[in-house]
Amino acid sequence: MEHLQAEMDALRNEMLEMYNLVLSQVERAQTALIDTNLSVIKEIGSNEKLVNAKELQIDSRCETILALFTPVAVDLRFVLSALKININLERIGDIADNIARTMSHTKPGFDQELLEKVNAKGAFTMLLEMYKSLLQAFEKEDTLLARDILIRDEAIDSITEEAITITEEYTRSKPDSIGQIVPLISIMKMLERIGDHLKNIAEEIIFYAEARVLKHSSPK
Amino acid sequence: MEGTILRTENLQISFGDNKVVKGINMEIAEKKVTAFMGPSGCGKTTILRAINRLHELTPEAKVEGKIFMHNEDVYEMEAMTLRRRVGMVFQRPNPFPTMSIAENVISGFILNGIKLKTQEKNEIIEDALKKVALWDEVKDYLKKKGTSLSGGQQQRLCLARAVAMKPEVILLDEPTSALDPLSTAKIEDLLYELKGNYTLVIVTHNMQQAARISDMTAFFYLGDLLEYDDTKKVFTNPKNEKTQNYITGRFG
Amino acid sequence: MTPFDIRGTKRRQIKDRIFSGFVWALTFSCLIVVFIILFYLFEKGIGSINWALFTKGPKPVGEFGGGIANAIVGSLIVVVVAAIIAIPLGISVGIYQADNRGKRIAERIAVAVDVLQGIPSIVIGIVIYVWIVKPFGGFSAISGSIALAIMMLPPVIKSTEETLLLIPHTLKEAALGLGASYYHTVRKILIPTGMGGILGGCIIGVARIAGEVAPLLFTAFGNPAMVFSIFKPVDTIPKVIFAYASSPYEDWQRIAWGGSLILVVFIIILNTIIKLFENKWKVQF
Repeated sequence: MEHLQAEMDALRNEMLEMYNLVLSQVERAQTALIDTNLSVIKEIGSNEKLVNAKELQIDSRCETILALFTPVAVDLRFVLSALKININLERIGDIADNIARTMSHTKPGFDQELLEKVNAKGAFTMLLEMYKSLLQAFEKEDTLLARDILIRDEAIDSITEEAITITEEYTRSKPDSIGQIVPLISIMKMLERIGDHLKNIAEEIIFYAEARVLKHSSPK
Repeated sequence: MEGTILRTENLQISFGDNKVVKGINMEIAEKKVTAFMGPSGCGKTTILRAINRLHELTPEAKVEGKIFMHNEDVYEMEAMTLRRRVGMVFQRPNPFPTMSIAENVISGFILNGIKLKTQEKNEIIEDALKKVALWDEVKDYLKKKGTSLSGGQQQRLCLARAVAMKPEVILLDEPTSALDPLSTAKIEDLLYELKGNYTLVIVTHNMQQAARISDMTAFFYLGDLLEYDDTKKVFTNPKNEKTQNYITGRFG
Repeated sequence: MTPFDIRGTKRRQIKDRIFSGFVWALTFSCLIVVFIILFYLFEKGIGSINWALFTKGPKPVGEFGGGIANAIVGSLIVVVVAAIIAIPLGISVGIYQADNRGKRIAERIAVAVDVLQGIPSIVIGIVIYVWIVKPFGGFSAISGSIALAIMMLPPVIKSTEETLLLIPHTLKEAALGLGASYYHTVRKILIPTGMGGILGGCIIGVARIAGEVAPLLFTAFGNPAMVFSIFKPVDTIPKVIFAYASSPYEDWQRIAWGGSLILVVFIIILNTIIKLFENKWKVQF
């Protein structure tokens, strides 16, 4: 069925473009936060429009495929998972945008020492690695890799949990840094949510490739 | 509509006292696939056959209104000339049983008394059979009778026969309803490929087929044209409630 | 209580066997009769089959070694000319009938054909005598052919019509859809496709007229000499069989048996050809 295959291939390509668009946004968010590079913030803002446009494009493509081709089996699972992955990627893009906005309201930025203490860099590195693994899992339909991501998410959660305590301690010793608590905690929470979205995407990849539903259960 | 090749003006068709087509105004786009769908008796096949005037074989058929192809009135033309420019593929594969595969492909020329030089003849046969993805399967058996092929192959042969005449429009009357799913899929792929070079108008009972291969879909009901739009729009958000009922299977 | 589906089974099985046996017995007896006739004919006629039979004309009473060569030639002439008249005409009418099914005129023609088929052959002979033999002043092979052609028309017309009606009309539509004229459609598609049945009808017609005597009595009449002209009277095989068989001379009767054998063998060959044709020309739609 050439026509259907052409549409599915187009969908796959659009998904890859979405993955890459959002990946760049997360990388830019890292630059904004860790290197306190504030010029990047404008880039994130303008690229957010591209991310949204791509999300709509993928939604429309999925709608076309479902309406016109009534796909079944693996094709159906791919389209259904694509719709959900699409939402999750868009949310990640949103979060990157929020990080950027939060940064622009926190002048002149965060203390490097504080950032190191909460291991913001570590968190970002882990997230980016998870993201790239996820992209590979998607391209290669590698469900083992996808399952691995489910486990790695736990590490992110522990970093962000500890961040609250660490930040409190820090501001007790350095009281002028008190303005940084709320934005920093909020950014760390956002990083946790990125991890959650990556986990959702991993579950969708496993659903598509293995037809197994892993939502709402502990990682296997 | 831009790039219109066929246009009807208040087309009405009756058989005796029975008015089957009630006043259709539509434009069919060039080099696209247009699907006619609707429940049995809605007039879609009647309209199709009015385009190449085959309904004239039924003595009680009466046509009012006009059909234009490239702004020429189809009913002012010589019927035979019209039919050379408009090809047709029928529901049941009907290759000519006394002719070989090769002869079937050029049967349009044979029946019109057009003599072809051998080289020309072979080129036309090879080209047409390649266009319908039959060449590799039959190239060593061109002298075998046309009816020795399987159903799906026969239908592709009928398509080759139509294509060989280089028509401007090809009309297809439920071309896959007598075929198995695999042959149907092959033919649908073929039609998808052909549409870049030919205008295709296909009547189908199979809604999914209309959804899969057509660019524009027309929904007919009891002789009226109820909806006519981009296929994607018709199948995601039809404007007419009857259309929606039909395609969701809630009819009647 | 026995279930409904096997109740009365025994009785039905017995009835079934009786019926099959009955059918078989009747068939067998028909075949036996045919074989007896053929066997008898063969036995009586084989003795007369010799070169003289085929090459010599009749000899006067008392002289041995006569033959029916003139009748063989006469039969050939009369039958071939009849076929030449009846076949194109019959096929054309058959095509017309198939095409115009249901129309008033076609229905009238169908009735006429049926009536024609039912007219006794001698009546046809008398009519041709009045229309052709008398005005033209003499018996002739061609008047005999005309009479035979009239008799040959119904089978040719009917088998042509029936064969063409069997052809699915989508073939006609396919041809017209390609822009063919009606003439081309008939000539290049319908007739070739129906050729088996049409030719079969022609051969049936020929087989029918080959053995006719009555219509020729007043038309071709008879002629002891060997003739090659259609404007002269001719002898035909059935006629000489009649003439010789009713004579008291043993030699002539012997020739009559020989002629009968030849005629029957000819008809058997024709029918075999029909059967072969049916298989060879079987066209799948």
